[in-house]
Amino acid sequence: MKSKFYSRLFLLPGLLLLIAIIIFPLLFTIRVSMAHWNVSHSGLDWAGGANWARMFHDANFWQSLFRLFYFSFITTSLQYVFGFAAALFAWKGIAARRFFRVLWLLPLMTTPSVIAIVWRSIFREDIGAANGLLALFGVHPVAWSTQILPATLTITIAEVWQWTPFMFLILLAGLLSLPKEQFLSAEIDGATPWRTFWSITFPLMAPISIGAIIIRLIEASKIFDSIFNLTSAGPGSSTETPAYYLYTRGLREFQISYGATLGLAYLILAILTLTILSQIFARVSKPRGL
Amino acid sequence: MKKLSKYLFIILWSIFVITPLSWALVTSFKPASAVNNGATFIPWLQFKPTLDGWKDITGVSGYANLFPALFNSATITFFSTLVSVTLGCMAAYGLSRFSYGWKHYKNPDIIFFFISQRIMPPAVLAVPFFILLKSLNLLDTKLGLVLVLTSGLMPIVVWLLVDFFNQLPKEIDEMAMLEGCNPFEAFVRSILPLSKPGLTVAGMFSIIFGWNDLFFALVLTFTKVQTLPVAVVALNGTVTPFWTLSASAIFSILPLVGLAFVVERFLSKGGFAGAVR
Amino acid sequence: MSLNLNQISVEGDSEVLLKDISFNFQPGKIYILIGRTTSGKTSLMRTIAGLLEPTAGEIHLGEVRLDEVPIWERGIAMVYQQFINYPQRTVLNNVEFPLLRAGVSKPEAKARALAMIEKVGLTDFIKRKPSQLSGGQQQRVAIARALVRNTPIILLDEPLMNLDYKLREQLREEFRVLFKGTKDSVTIYATTEPSEALFLGDELLVMHEGRIVQHGKPDFVFQNPSTIDVAQIVNDPPMSILDAELRDSKVSIGDLMHFVTPAHLKSQPDGIYKIGIRASEVVLGGSETNSAEGEVSLSEVSGSETLLYVKLNIGEVVLQLEGIHDYFIGQRVTVSLAPQRIFLFNMDGTLCAAPGN
Repeated sequence: MKSKFYSRLFLLPGLLLLIAIIIFPLLFTIRVSMAHWNVSHSGLDWAGGANWARMFHDANFWQSLFRLFYFSFITTSLQYVFGFAAALFAWKGIAARRFFRVLWLLPLMTTPSVIAIVWRSIFREDIGAANGLLALFGVHPVAWSTQILPATLTITIAEVWQWTPFMFLILLAGLLSLPKEQFLSAEIDGATPWRTFWSITFPLMAPISIGAIIIRLIEASKIFDSIFNLTSAGPGSSTETPAYYLYTRGLREFQISYGATLGLAYLILAILTLTILSQIFARVSKPRGL
Repeated sequence: MKKLSKYLFIILWSIFVITPLSWALVTSFKPASAVNNGATFIPWLQFKPTLDGWKDITGVSGYANLFPALFNSATITFFSTLVSVTLGCMAAYGLSRFSYGWKHYKNPDIIFFFISQRIMPPAVLAVPFFILLKSLNLLDTKLGLVLVLTSGLMPIVVWLLVDFFNQLPKEIDEMAMLEGCNPFEAFVRSILPLSKPGLTVAGMFSIIFGWNDLFFALVLTFTKVQTLPVAVVALNGTVTPFWTLSASAIFSILPLVGLAFVVERFLSKGGFAGAVR
Repeated sequence: MSLNLNQISVEGDSEVLLKDISFNFQPGKIYILIGRTTSGKTSLMRTIAGLLEPTAGEIHLGEVRLDEVPIWERGIAMVYQQFINYPQRTVLNNVEFPLLRAGVSKPEAKARALAMIEKVGLTDFIKRKPSQLSGGQQQRVAIARALVRNTPIILLDEPLMNLDYKLREQLREEFRVLFKGTKDSVTIYATTEPSEALFLGDELLVMHEGRIVQHGKPDFVFQNPSTIDVAQIVNDPPMSILDAELRDSKVSIGDLMHFVTPAHLKSQPDGIYKIGIRASEVVLGGSETNSAEGEVSLSEVSGSETLLYVKLNIGEVVLQLEGIHDYFIGQRVTVSLAPQRIFLFNMDGTLCAAPGN
């Protein structure tokens, strides 16, 4: 349909509002990344690519990115697997599934930063529930915040708890809208539940799975709330992610220009990764005739 | 064997889900002694429950009052969701029915543009947004925060609804137009009534992400406007007893718990059919 | 008001949908568009409706240049082959809707809607929603909605295609009656079924590969198809086409069948031609000279008839036999045809001579 007026009427209000709100921040970020704005030096002078050069040599930044691969990919994978399992069980065939659906949705409704505070209190070495419970089983208290592995574990636990329901919800919605015919014929053919899952359910859910994974990866990469409230990137900087590093340099230390540079570098890398991932997903789902 | 592992998963996962919530709930009723001498779990058995934590956060004891923050969050979330869903569903409908092109950018690129708004970490956007709102005199105002949040929520709405609208037969729009509706009337009269599932999902995610925002509220509001997450985290910053913190955590979660029930009702009635694909 | 199409061409993404269509439609007549699925019937209708934009050409409705009027002001009613109704509205509201949009007052809209609903026989269902109706009923609602407005143009795109055989026959009868009330409108009906065309149409337009290849009264086109393509479109089951030679007042089909040139072909010059014969005019058996033996390649029961596809060494013929018969693949049968029922076509496919009636 060509009717230009109406086609514009639909898209433009939202698109223009969005552009209006973000155009300044985007341009500002680009401009300020090429200046020297920090605690001692306010204002927009010209630094050219100095910040960018610094970024390339910034070991902390690259380490945080590396860590991010772990955090975002691993947590997303766990969330996907658990979320899918939960969705399958809540789909049909278990008693009181409505109760479980509500229950398993709860974490999604909570405020991540607030819950992170709760997790902090759970993982307090002295008076927290975690070590308290372990003590009941005669296990030594774990140094949740002063050792790398436990600290990483606490973040992982918090993230999986918080966001698995996201996957759960989307996948359950998808399952509920699947057409019944294929399942009926599988039943008639005598397929086992496992077989039915791999040959029918999983492929049918591919488009939704891909969409959900991509969105979740985008969100997971920004991980901040839990790190801020749980470990403060500790011990040392072992749980520091790009978003947190950005926050430290840019806002806490007030190195506005450098923070902007880091942000833009992150944006570019993220968009690249996203594009590559989309291509991979597209290619993987095509051969199966989806 | 399979059944066993199924029920094992269900039980373990449910316990996992409940853990932080029940811990916070129980702790919110603890007196000082129950907290400071090591972990305690069972009320009445291990300690005597008190309402101190709750009095602290509801203004009764004069320590803090979270109700104003609650109302702020509600108002701000409501308006950001309203704007995001309205403009977002229009944009999504446009992307579903028309093919836009500017130079060689087409519909998928536009959708990608929307989604990429979610990529930037808030830390980077905080300063420019700060400057932007300051120059518009919108710092520490509800309107300012609504605008900023909307820019983050609209992409989600568009992402969800484009797929949804693609599933509604175009013939219905065509029929409405042949019968005298211009495209906008066709949209409002014939497509929207059929879009309740999709709109509800979009609205739900908007509410969740809007209500739970911490970062922007933290940076862009100070004294006049305070949202609930900010208020709770502020409590955490000062020397606040654990029981009060726990009470504040539970308090801030309650409003959206109701949403969980609504969403479940919706799911079970098949409301999501075709909403997410 | 008459509808005039002048050199309408429509190009799609990768192919040309309509080529140079020019035609004048008169009000009060029922035009049947017949053609294969990709022939352009739907594209033509959608172009008239405004859902497709022509890359060239003009459309006029009376004095008005129609292709410059937006869809919602064109005054066109359309029935799709998928049953399209507003799912959220009751049957009554569905039929009232176009009237209300056109500015008719609520009471009058309701009255007219009820009258039309009665004409399609759905008075008992006015409170139901389309999802609670059967396929045939849903299509009736769509038809009622299309006819209730008395629009100058009424388009029906294979409306009966998704219905079962019995319903199709029934609704065809009802169409006859319903269309009597469309005196001021141009009614255009697309189908692939020749029987519908013969039954309903005042004028037939045969479409093939985006063009109108022949038009005229249905009977005439049926008896005088201008090309082999047209013959295949208006005949169901298809005509059998075989190579033949005319020489010395004799017709030879391959080396199997020979007979004296029938009367209607006598004036044709000697040479090689293609002949066509209807399936109902190929018979089993026959004498030595005008019959051929072949193998059954397919036997299909359709309704109360049997279609037999027989492979001869000169080509394949189709027979339409009354009653239900059992033939197996490979069975040897003898077929023959009546010379005076032969259609004669040039090698390029155009018609030379058609049998008299």
